[in-house]
Amino acid sequence: MPDQNLLEMKGIEIQFPGVKALDKVDFSMKKGEIHALLGENGAGKSTLIKCLTGVHHMDAGTILFDGKEIHPTSPQDAFSMGISTVYQEINLCPNLTVAENIFVGRQPMRRGVINWKEINRRAQELMARFHMDIDVTRPLNNYSTAIQQMVSIARAVDIDAKILILDEPTSSLDDNEVKLLFDVMNELKAEGMGIIFITHFLDQVFAVSDRLTILRNGTLVGTFDIHDITKLKLVTWMIGKDMDVIFNLKRATVDADAPEMLKTENLGAPGQIQNVNLSVKKGELVGFAGLLGSGRTETAELIFGAVPATEGTEVINGKQVSIKKPLDAIGAKLAFCPEDRKRDGIIGDLSIRENIALALQAKRGFMHPISLQEQNEMAEKYIKMLSIATPDAEKKIGELSGGNQQKVILARWMATQPDLLILDEPTRGIDVGAKAEIQRLMLEMCNDGVSVIFISSELDEIIRCSNRIIVMRDGKKVGEVNGEDCTQQTILSIIAEGTQEGASA
Amino acid sequence: MKKKQFNISNIMQSKITWAVVAELLILLVCFIIRPDFFSIKYQPATGMLYGSLIDILNRSAEITIIAMGMTLVIALAGTDLSVGSLVALSGALALKFLRWDVLIYNTPGDYTVKPFILVILVPLAVCILMGLFNGFMISRIGMQPIIATLILMVCGRGIAQIVTNGKQFTTLYSPFRVIGQGSLFFLPMPIIITIVVVAAVSLFVRKTAFGTMVESVGINPSASRLSGIDSRKIIMIVFALTAFLSGIAGLITASRVMSNDSNNFGINFEMDAILAVVIGGTNMAGGKFSLAGTVVGSIIIRTIITFVYYFGIVSEATMAFKALIIIVVIVLQSEPVRARMAKMGKKKVKGGVQHA
Repeated sequence: MPDQNLLEMKGIEIQFPGVKALDKVDFSMKKGEIHALLGENGAGKSTLIKCLTGVHHMDAGTILFDGKEIHPTSPQDAFSMGISTVYQEINLCPNLTVAENIFVGRQPMRRGVINWKEINRRAQELMARFHMDIDVTRPLNNYSTAIQQMVSIARAVDIDAKILILDEPTSSLDDNEVKLLFDVMNELKAEGMGIIFITHFLDQVFAVSDRLTILRNGTLVGTFDIHDITKLKLVTWMIGKDMDVIFNLKRATVDADAPEMLKTENLGAPGQIQNVNLSVKKGELVGFAGLLGSGRTETAELIFGAVPATEGTEVINGKQVSIKKPLDAIGAKLAFCPEDRKRDGIIGDLSIRENIALALQAKRGFMHPISLQEQNEMAEKYIKMLSIATPDAEKKIGELSGGNQQKVILARWMATQPDLLILDEPTRGIDVGAKAEIQRLMLEMCNDGVSVIFISSELDEIIRCSNRIIVMRDGKKVGEVNGEDCTQQTILSIIAEGTQEGASA
Repeated sequence: MKKKQFNISNIMQSKITWAVVAELLILLVCFIIRPDFFSIKYQPATGMLYGSLIDILNRSAEITIIAMGMTLVIALAGTDLSVGSLVALSGALALKFLRWDVLIYNTPGDYTVKPFILVILVPLAVCILMGLFNGFMISRIGMQPIIATLILMVCGRGIAQIVTNGKQFTTLYSPFRVIGQGSLFFLPMPIIITIVVVAAVSLFVRKTAFGTMVESVGINPSASRLSGIDSRKIIMIVFALTAFLSGIAGLITASRVMSNDSNNFGINFEMDAILAVVIGGTNMAGGKFSLAGTVVGSIIIRTIITFVYYFGIVSEATMAFKALIIIVVIVLQSEPVRARMAKMGKKKVKGGVQHA
């Protein structure tokens, strides 16, 4: 029965306080199918998945799995039925070995003790199946994020899973690793496994999936065969608006005689990064391109004092400043949205209002509190301005979707009225609509005279927004190109060659 | 500004609600067994009100005062084990300054050798220094709070012994007696001091942005630092404050018995203070805290002890009895139980709406 649906979810409804998270959503999947689940942040993708894995309780609807109705009550429950999930954040123990991580909780036993030989042998086999030749007896944190991600997938499929849910598995992988993952996905598909694939990378959707389902604002837009839909159509359906309106972004204009906002000379912290020479004009948007680990983040941290500089000079608005900690940088009207939103950005248990007021409050010191009324006004203003999707300002930031969390962090810094805003991967892991909104905000701020340093791994957005692009490699600046007349090819060849001359030759 | 909606489900889910319910239940049991448990009488001789309820508040003063600081420490995801030793040290210093002459004159009298202001200020100042030491070890050296404060927990009593050459002093100085045994507005002085401390700490943390910053550092230190919060300063202030409050508790304890006892003052105070905070609904993992909850927690602990004494339960059983009630309170507050209660509350609300 190849046509019988492996999974069928019908009329799913979930009510959260104040919002209907899912409204009569249908979802079905065949055996041996890769099915992409798409939608903006807050569209209800994760809610639907959590419904299937028993995290959320459905208010209405049925789930048929292999023809039988199921009521998963917890992730463990769903797991034992054969529904495995791999989350975006890696949920493994970094100090255990690879093999231990794969078998933790279900170690093969022999005469009442754990059979280590068996564990290591089976782990090695499993990883080999993923074309990974690694030492499974070494601790997990010895390996890169990509390998850790593979380990968590290996763990998920080793149990006789019939459905594998991959929630944004590729956001921390590079191109080769993504390809590897796709090979594995195709192998699993050939074995008859159904894979639900959630991602923000539309190219990947077209590269690997068979069908796709689009959600918008908790309702079903439709399920389509991959061959019957174009990328443009897809985006339009996802955001419910025409692409052109959103993507009509104009680069900021910078006067030739605009004053210099930031200038660094040989700034450095030995052991981290050295010899940072950089200048940013008022109202200019400077993009940092380069591979992961090329020193982009380190440069930003150095400028902001997250890592204190021990040598060189930093001049802001014509005045030499000494920045030893982030508070000094905030005092000098700098702002910094870090790369890892969860670890370095949000204060999960505090409300949106408190999160927005945090940096300004820190700048003023705790003895000069921002009154509740001011905080409320501030929160209302930014919720409206950045169209943050929330019932009210008292909601915990940890309960928002990634894109909305990013907007709150952005609001936190906008509230300090910075002269220079450093954004490290502000659009990572958020959907097309929110991405475009953040780009638009960045450019608007430039037009208001704020300088922006924009770090991103996605070359097209760097090229689309930047006035000037600095290309980095191995902790050094290897090239600088004008944003107007530059293509992905130029940047890629600078990265590859390591020098600008090499690229133009 | 919108007003917060009244919601039974929220109330059923709030931890402090259950702490208050637990306290009321214990009191109810007391009332059923001994109706005169609630009686409060005025005694003209001392100008004070007497009764079990007054006694509970009076005797819980030290723990309540210390637990105010402990709440902030725990909100920072730390613990302070040194508070009990600081109580002993504070008492020893006070008696040392009162009885600087003890090597010459052995009989206590209604006098102080050093100025009374020093008797009060020196112990408090020394405690603040000790607290700064704790804060320094944690924020600069990077020690874990439980280890850093273990140092003073162990050696604080030793320092107290050195201060008094290992001796126990007694005094009859009446101004000093006022702290622990005096009265104001018909209430025992420790209650008045507690009210002042609770009010001052609450105002400090909630009227300034200090409380939010403590929560922020407790929830996510890295993000707080990048937002410009000086977490080292916050840690220093919190530990210094807790030590200062321990000093006040030490003066009260010493004044109650007009003596010092470095081996027995403040024994287990750190545990009772942590317990008060936890019963009050603040999570040991740090983050959001509730000072009001802590006050209730501290009162619950004392109510249990009073209950045990009052009904003549053998004193050996006190600890076991205390543990029993605390288990009940903590279970009532636990996530699964509260979630279930909240569900019941929700259903009731829904029903009510339908009828209306």
